[in-house]
Amino acid sequence: MSTITAPSENTTGEQAPARSGAPSLWRSLALRAGAVVALVAIWQAVAMARVWPPVFVPEPAAVWEQFLRTTGEGVSGYTLQEHLLVSLRRILLGCLYGVTGGVVLGLLIGMVPTLRALLGPLVTFVRTLPPLAYLSLLVIWFGIDEEPKIWLLLLAALPPVAVATADAVRGVHEDYLNAARSLGARGHELPLRVVLPSALPEIVTGVRVAVGVAYTTVVAAETVNGVPGIGGMVRDAQRYNQTDVVVLGILVIGLSGLLIDFLLQTLDRRLVPWRGRT
Amino acid sequence: MRRTTPLFSLLLAAALTLTACGSGEPEAKPAADGSPATLRIGYQLIPNGDLIVKDQKWLETALPNTKIVWSKFDSGGDVNTAVIAGSLDIGLAGSSPVTRGLSAPLNIPYRVPWIFDVIGDNEALVARGGVTDVKGLAGKRVATPFSSTSHYSLLAALSEAGLSEADVKILDMEPPDIQAAWQRGDIDAAYVWTPNLAELQKNGGTTLVTSRQLAQRGKLTADLAVVRDEFATKYPKALQTWLQQQDRAVKLARSDKDAAAAAIGRQLNLDPAEAARQLGQLVLLDATEQRSAEYLGTPSAPGKLAENLHSAAEFLKTQKKVDAVPDLGVFQKGLATQELADAFPGN
Repeated sequence: MSTITAPSENTTGEQAPARSGAPSLWRSLALRAGAVVALVAIWQAVAMARVWPPVFVPEPAAVWEQFLRTTGEGVSGYTLQEHLLVSLRRILLGCLYGVTGGVVLGLLIGMVPTLRALLGPLVTFVRTLPPLAYLSLLVIWFGIDEEPKIWLLLLAALPPVAVATADAVRGVHEDYLNAARSLGARGHELPLRVVLPSALPEIVTGVRVAVGVAYTTVVAAETVNGVPGIGGMVRDAQRYNQTDVVVLGILVIGLSGLLIDFLLQTLDRRLVPWRGRT
Repeated sequence: MRRTTPLFSLLLAAALTLTACGSGEPEAKPAADGSPATLRIGYQLIPNGDLIVKDQKWLETALPNTKIVWSKFDSGGDVNTAVIAGSLDIGLAGSSPVTRGLSAPLNIPYRVPWIFDVIGDNEALVARGGVTDVKGLAGKRVATPFSSTSHYSLLAALSEAGLSEADVKILDMEPPDIQAAWQRGDIDAAYVWTPNLAELQKNGGTTLVTSRQLAQRGKLTADLAVVRDEFATKYPKALQTWLQQQDRAVKLARSDKDAAAAAIGRQLNLDPAEAARQLGQLVLLDATEQRSAEYLGTPSAPGKLAENLHSAAEFLKTQKKVDAVPDLGVFQKGLATQELADAFPGN
């Protein structure tokens, strides 16, 4: 029943499902805020109980103080914003290359059986490697500046996208392809005009997973000459038992990760509005 | 060798604390003769007297009623964490971690009863590309493992040459990465320790300054023993025995170098010749030297090590790694001069 054209425009009447009413919105906001407050309260209680020395469990206030200090005068020679921006730039570039490469590779693997046999195991192989294991190699090959870090993030981001794309491509309904062919589509038009659009929802999910993986890899990527960088900052603080800075760094990484995932979800809704409704 | 907290320190800290808390009472009751039931020692793989004592089982022999537990540590930062958690009685840490331990916010209740070794030719600043003195490093890229004794020595060498930290680009890297970057030509110089140091020297590196030379000029870095205050007060006899065994190891290293090298070689998995070479790069001090004004000193006149730690704290303050520089008195009190004097009453 669905059309085979790429949905460049949203057809009318396809609004977001069941707009949540104002009361329930408030309720969910209050619920979330409550959860955060409760978490901080537990943290404060644990810190104040002094079961562990403050070096192990810093108080929320100490972390807040570090936040003010690191955004003002900085830590490890750079401010918190600078650390974060440099890391975000690395993640952005790494994901950009990784996602592009992953989509191309996934298309190839999904559509060409020979390539599937050749490259499939390789992608799985790379996917299971812990990033720290091959970082030393990347340092030897690409030096100590931006290159090895971007490569590491690329290698982290590529496999999830490739796997998701390959699976989605193989799952494209044969009817779509036949319909396109019978309507006069040429062979070379199929991947871009039929396969990719119909695989898009799963690819976007793959991208979300990939960005998450890249995010978890950034601390590993910044173990060599990682300052400035949020991972380098955390590592530097760890070495000096500055637990409050470590906690701050972890919070910043987590929160910025949440924000990025939120943006990707928004993008997902814009890009694939037909998800779940075909 | 003397790095402080690496990646796992937090986990380790948590684990150690949990075990310390979980086991309820970490210390068992002392034995009948007043010696402790257990003596928990944190050692590191550094070719000094500690490994000789361990290899020869001298402590086990000298304290027959005490269970000696040896745990290996990779860095002084981890030793600090373990002492905070109450999981160690005596440990080995570099002068940089000990300075941090004695300063706020850590304020670890421990003191320094012994200097395992003064870092000598095993840590050095090497450069290439026609750089022949430290001044020539202006604008160059210099790598060192941050928070290590090498890091401290590098900044000391730079300030000696009239260079500030901003005049050179200092990169934080682990020794194996330094070696890789050196081979690729990504860095112009590095302050690092053996065995990676030896590789750089072989691959066209010119040695600009060694830690031995810096020590002679007052910028001393050392591997120190730390003993928990509580243990030192509760079991002075055991601590004295421990100190006497360390002195015995230093004397062995001087009188019978082959036997000492063989013992260290066994602990480090090195052939005796290499162990002897590495041992020779460190400066070991016997009890008399430890008590001289140059090092730990006496109860009435604490030695110069306190000033060394104090200036290291000033350095860490500029690095924003400690909150405040404690008074010199804090470091003088941090030297266990009384315990040292009690252990060697003869001289």
